[in-house]
Amino acid sequence: MNSIVSIRDVVKEYELGTTVVQALRGVNLDVQKGEFLSIAGPSGSGKTTLLNLIGCVDTATRGVVQVAGRDTARLTERELTDLRLNTIGFIFQSFNLVAVLNVFQNVEFPLLLQRKLGAKARKERVMSLLEQVGLHTHARHRPSELSGGQRQRVAVARALVTEPLLVLADEPTANLDSETGNQIIDLMKELNVKKGTTFIFSTHDHKVMQHANAVIRLADGKVLARESAKDAVAHALSLGEAPTAEARA
Amino acid sequence: MSRLGMLLQIAWRNLLASPINLIIGGLILAGTLLFVVVGGLLDSLNDSMARSVIGSVAGHIQIYSSKSKDELSLFGGMGGDPELAAVTEFPRIKEAVEGLENVKEVVPMGSSGALITAGNIVDVTLEKLRNLIKARAGSADDPRLARLTPEALDARISATRRHVRQIIRVLEADQKKALAILKDQAIDPDVVASLEKVSQDAFWDDFDQDPWGSLEFLENKIAPQVTDAQLMFLRYLGTDLDQFQQSFDRMQVIDGTPVPKGQRGFLIAKLFYEDQMKLKNARRLDKLRDATANGRLIASDDELKRFVKENRTQTRDIVLQLDDLKTAEATTKLQAFLKSTDPDLTALLSTFFDTTDENLEARAAFFYAELAPMIELYKVRIGDTLTIKAFTRGGAIQAVNVKVYGTFSFTGLEKSPLAGNTSLMDLMSFRDLYGYLTVDKAEEIKRLQQDTGAQTVTRANAEDELFGEGATIVAEATAGIIDEDKTFTGVGRRLREDDLVKRVYTDSEINSGVVLNAAVMVKDPSQLTATIEAINRLSEEKNLSIKAVSWQQASGILGQIITFFRGVLILAVLFIFGIAMVIINNAMMMATLQRTQTIGTMRAIGAQRSLVLTMVLTESVVLGVLFGGVGILLGTGVMAWLHQRGIPAPNDVAYFFFSGPRLLPDVSSGNLAIALVIILAVTLFSTLFPALIATRISPLRAMQADE
Ligand SMILES: Nc1ncnc2c1ncn2[C@@H]1O[C@H](COP(=O)(O)OP(=O)(O)OP(=O)(O)O)[C@@H](O)[C@H]1O
Ligand SMILES: [Mg+2]
Repeated sequence: MNSIVSIRDVVKEYELGTTVVQALRGVNLDVQKGEFLSIAGPSGSGKTTLLNLIGCVDTATRGVVQVAGRDTARLTERELTDLRLNTIGFIFQSFNLVAVLNVFQNVEFPLLLQRKLGAKARKERVMSLLEQVGLHTHARHRPSELSGGQRQRVAVARALVTEPLLVLADEPTANLDSETGNQIIDLMKELNVKKGTTFIFSTHDHKVMQHANAVIRLADGKVLARESAKDAVAHALSLGEAPTAEARA
Repeated sequence: MSRLGMLLQIAWRNLLASPINLIIGGLILAGTLLFVVVGGLLDSLNDSMARSVIGSVAGHIQIYSSKSKDELSLFGGMGGDPELAAVTEFPRIKEAVEGLENVKEVVPMGSSGALITAGNIVDVTLEKLRNLIKARAGSADDPRLARLTPEALDARISATRRHVRQIIRVLEADQKKALAILKDQAIDPDVVASLEKVSQDAFWDDFDQDPWGSLEFLENKIAPQVTDAQLMFLRYLGTDLDQFQQSFDRMQVIDGTPVPKGQRGFLIAKLFYEDQMKLKNARRLDKLRDATANGRLIASDDELKRFVKENRTQTRDIVLQLDDLKTAEATTKLQAFLKSTDPDLTALLSTFFDTTDENLEARAAFFYAELAPMIELYKVRIGDTLTIKAFTRGGAIQAVNVKVYGTFSFTGLEKSPLAGNTSLMDLMSFRDLYGYLTVDKAEEIKRLQQDTGAQTVTRANAEDELFGEGATIVAEATAGIIDEDKTFTGVGRRLREDDLVKRVYTDSEINSGVVLNAAVMVKDPSQLTATIEAINRLSEEKNLSIKAVSWQQASGILGQIITFFRGVLILAVLFIFGIAMVIINNAMMMATLQRTQTIGTMRAIGAQRSLVLTMVLTESVVLGVLFGGVGILLGTGVMAWLHQRGIPAPNDVAYFFFSGPRLLPDVSSGNLAIALVIILAVTLFSTLFPALIATRISPLRAMQADE
């Protein structure tokens, strides 16, 4: 079977004092290899929660989450970490680069954790990725010397440097202006096409959404629909959701 | 870049980012520096003190009777000398212990002390006169006087009489001065009258008609007017002198000669000889010269000024030593030297001793060249016989005459009061004084009882006589005056010292008899503890009833001093590192909390907990090693500099601890290793908790902003 992610009847509850918040209420989802999938939905609908479960940084209260064919509930902490390292790439909303390392070192970081490649191979891999994100001239720069868009490009390079099956991005454009955001999505799309890497990203922004092959619409912790990008944008507009990133800002 | 390289880089950059690390680093540096330098100094002090103690009296190991009431304490303890039981089977012990592999030699010992009085000059001179007159009457005590011809005796008597008359003149002059100040009433008219009487020629013309009565008058009325007899506490170590000198090779005979092998004899500690037995004025001149040679100035130094003042006022010891002829000679010499016409010798001497930084050398040279030959510089001369009286352990008074062969000191410890106040005595004399029956003594007592019908002094009546008082007592030293044959004036003499002084004892005679303790010299000092254990085991096996202790233990409080300071150092270092630990702990805790997003991100993208742990620990280890390393380097530098320069002993007492005039400290690699271990332990330990907290940071934290 070709599903990279397979989610069955997943419930995620958060305990807040005496009350229990249900962030996900019985979610089913399959993601195929090579998809460029967007998760949409209003604030609080459970997008981040879902991505955390897929990203193996959190576990479901009930139900089954399978990533790369492995049931995450059955894995130890160490195994989950290894799964994240070798199978998944992360792109964060606030970039999350290591401030004390330069661009090159940030991208190299996962390779050092993997301990698979020698210094020379690592260097080639890192430089080729930096070239693909257009930052090979900035290898020695520290993150603080880069613009937001450049930082997110570094983050994209870092997420892809281990050649993961799956890249997760929770609102990767939310901290960027719309043009830069679009460029980042374009870059992700390009890598998706070129390398066949599966991407799952969440967003509020319909402009971002329209790049996706498909959009999963979440509301109140449930999957409402899986639809094409076009339908999803239309739906979003009809609901009067925030039309563009600029308008929201 | 490798994984470790990356961790180091993260650590390094994080350290640079936070100024509190400078404070932590400073503390680590200070603690390390302190440890290396002070620790090194203490080690060096310990080594040099060990050399001093081992080389001057203790040897490597001391053995003493296991039946002793007190613990052995060679330099005296809180309450004076420790009470040691006698070791009675020394030859057997010596043989057994010397059979051990690491033992080179066993040197017998026993130490004690006696108060001795150097009789004042009037007493001594009058006693001399009495002995001479006795000899003329044909009943000399001293065999040497009995051998003189009547002419020679007469010549001596008249010389001594002149000396006594000169003394009286000096006393008269003193009295006149006193009268002028005090007015008549303050002075006992009887004293004035007595002095008046003996200053008349008539008294001396009639002297020979009733020499005993005249002498008695002088002794009762005049001698008490000079009360400056000096009490000295003489500490001595009884030992096999020959063996002692071979084993303690730092010992050097300074004046005179060693005691001939196997004979009775006494060697005075040089420092004691100079400090206590030398004419005070001469001693003060020496000290002034010494001080000025070391750059001190009389003009600006209160202690030196005091010496000059005392020299100017205390000239009586010199004046009373001179008879009329010598007084005239000294007066003429001083008048010429000082270009003065003052006829009064006391006044001239006072002017003469008014030394300044400019004239000190010239005056000291004149003193030793012109005045010293006319007087006796030391209360005891090399070659004199010293009578030492002490209470035995049983309470009886024992007197022993020993010939003073010379003085000695230990190389490097010449100025140390700790090493320079204990004189050396042969074991035979020591045993006599200590009250154990020796062959000589047994014979002597028999003879005495036959000769005089004297009863053996029992402990009870000896104590009555002395009101049950303490342990030591009077001995009278001969103060030989002017160029006459050494006369012996000991009181209460019971042994025929002429015979005993010449008697040569064999090794076995020296060894068989009691000793109080013994020094064990070893071949390999690093095996000290093992050898001590071996001796103690041997004692049990062979029933020797001895106890072996290290030189350190044997030196009592002295041996504990370094241990004490080391304790203080450790406390200080602990204190500094304790503070460092608290600060490191806090700082790393804060840093960890500030870096939750970074750490969460690392965990999210695949870093295991162990990496996070390593990362945090690396940071503080880098900090510790960096600043600790600088501290070690700096400390080693300071020590190298100190070694090159040497630390001069700040005072005479320090000579002993420095084992010489300068301490050349060395840093031991052991200390550096310990410093490094401490730094690592401190930094790792203080970071452990924050590091564990860091490993608990969830990867979910990557999604949240840092607080
Ligand atoms: N750690 C948590 N503890 C308690 N409740 C939580 C926690 N994380 C999320 N929730 C709740 O779960 C629900 C889903 O939240 P989630 O963050 O997944 O929404 P979202 O779709 O990502 O929203 P947004 O668009 O604002 O990012 C919300 O009601 C939220 O309050
Ligand atoms: Mg969210």
